[in-house]
Amino acid sequence: MNGEFVAYCVINALAVLAIAPLYMSLIKKVKAWTQGRQGPSPFQTYANLAKLFRKEVIYSPNSSRVTRVAPSITLAAILVAALFVPLAYVPAPVGGIGNIILFLYLFALARFFMALTGLDAGSPFGGMGSSREMSLAAVIEPVTIIVFAALAFVFASLNIFDMFVISAASAFPVTPTLILLAISLFIILIVETARIPIDNPETHLELTMIHEGMILELSGKNLALMELAAAVKFTVLSALLINLVLPFGLVTTFSVAGVLAALLLFLIKGAVLSGIVGIFESSMAKMRFFRLPSLFVMAFFFSTLTIIIEVFA
Amino acid sequence: MMDAALVESIIRILFAGVIITAAYIISTRNLLSLVSVYALQSATLVGIALCLYTIEGAVVLLGIALVTFASKVLIIPYFIATIQERIRIKRDIEFHYLNPTTSLFLSMALMLVIYMALSSIMPNVSGKPTLFFFGAVVGLSLVLMGMMVTFSRKRAITKVLGYLTMENGVLLFGMFVTELPFIIEFLIVIDLIILVILTAILTVGIDSTLEEYHNRLHRFYLWEGTEDVP
Repeated sequence: MNGEFVAYCVINALAVLAIAPLYMSLIKKVKAWTQGRQGPSPFQTYANLAKLFRKEVIYSPNSSRVTRVAPSITLAAILVAALFVPLAYVPAPVGGIGNIILFLYLFALARFFMALTGLDAGSPFGGMGSSREMSLAAVIEPVTIIVFAALAFVFASLNIFDMFVISAASAFPVTPTLILLAISLFIILIVETARIPIDNPETHLELTMIHEGMILELSGKNLALMELAAAVKFTVLSALLINLVLPFGLVTTFSVAGVLAALLLFLIKGAVLSGIVGIFESSMAKMRFFRLPSLFVMAFFFSTLTIIIEVFA
Repeated sequence: MMDAALVESIIRILFAGVIITAAYIISTRNLLSLVSVYALQSATLVGIALCLYTIEGAVVLLGIALVTFASKVLIIPYFIATIQERIRIKRDIEFHYLNPTTSLFLSMALMLVIYMALSSIMPNVSGKPTLFFFGAVVGLSLVLMGMMVTFSRKRAITKVLGYLTMENGVLLFGMFVTELPFIIEFLIVIDLIILVILTAILTVGIDSTLEEYHNRLHRFYLWEGTEDVP
């Protein structure tokens, strides 16, 4: 491990942590605009998180050690996954960092601990949230694996860093099939971050909540960690989508000015994607739970099609 | 003349667009967006024809683009949208045999079969083989996907859209593999327009007797103008 890579890790992790809450508030802002409201300030999520970090933590009398450690583990797993997806600057990969299979497992680890948190407090809402999350995970994970397999076919590599280098080197999308994959990745982004057709992040209605159900019993800094983890997850997945499909601006050689410019460009691209997600959410109603697989099949269809095209053409 | 490689990659991107619209047509339950997606698909075909014209320079392609644009992007979607407005059906949630999820799975299998079948029939012609091969595959798949829509939906109006999708597939296949004479393409388009106009009548009353049919026309405001539509 060389100094350059350490620098990359620090910069990338800090950048993800700094940007992630901004996108959450941007989505809220866009949704408010489409409803004719003013909406919260773009920096509202930072204020919320700061407030939660200062608040007292209350544990349910039924909760065990799991509730105490799970938020940290979730955020840690997602932050490690964030190292796998360079936002602005792609160094040469070191060790297993960048491997897409490990990337998926880190997300699965975070998801597992989040589901445990839901069950741990013994509240029926948390259990329901966990049960729904796991049922969805059982359906979406094969789809996610197929999508990443298709990515591996397109770029002939299992490493996200290599994929980014290849896509950064070409001006156009590497192949047109990447557009099909972009749709799949977008659906995965929506599903993994529990946005609207899957789950409504703004309500605490017991009939529908999935993500909110699991973190219902958390308070104070534990809640802040979970919220931050969700925000970072959104940023990481959107960085994956953006840097694969619209890689312009991504730098592969280190220079302070270059990296800063690339970060700024990523900030803008991510803001546009957040706006698209906001509009997408506003134009849709939440889907019925048993209707959700048809959305996943869409992602599955496009990625399998990509594999077929890549293998046979 | 534009750069051929650039045009080719644009055509490939448009192919991806055709596949996306086809998947949407198979799986959506919202009739209103179905028509606009059909119009979008036809517009994509117009784009492909124009791109192909810059590579090949055959005037027939320009003609095809023009006819397709006039009929399939403007006239037919307009007619169908008008019908929908009158019969006031917004959603098609009834399916025969196949639900959308199964249809998507099936169409995946269909594309695979077509890929294998075509690769054994069509030897790689010299020149630009992969693009034309890909075009043929997408075209044929579109035909079969349209056929699937035709037999899996219950509403006549969606069946017609499935048929129209099939025709788009034929057009695509024709553009890339065989040179259809322009007159045939033109006649097909006229047929389609007549079909759609007939649908305007039949959608509301194909399962009724003549007397009842008259009443239905009144009920759906197709007989006496639309003044009393609220």
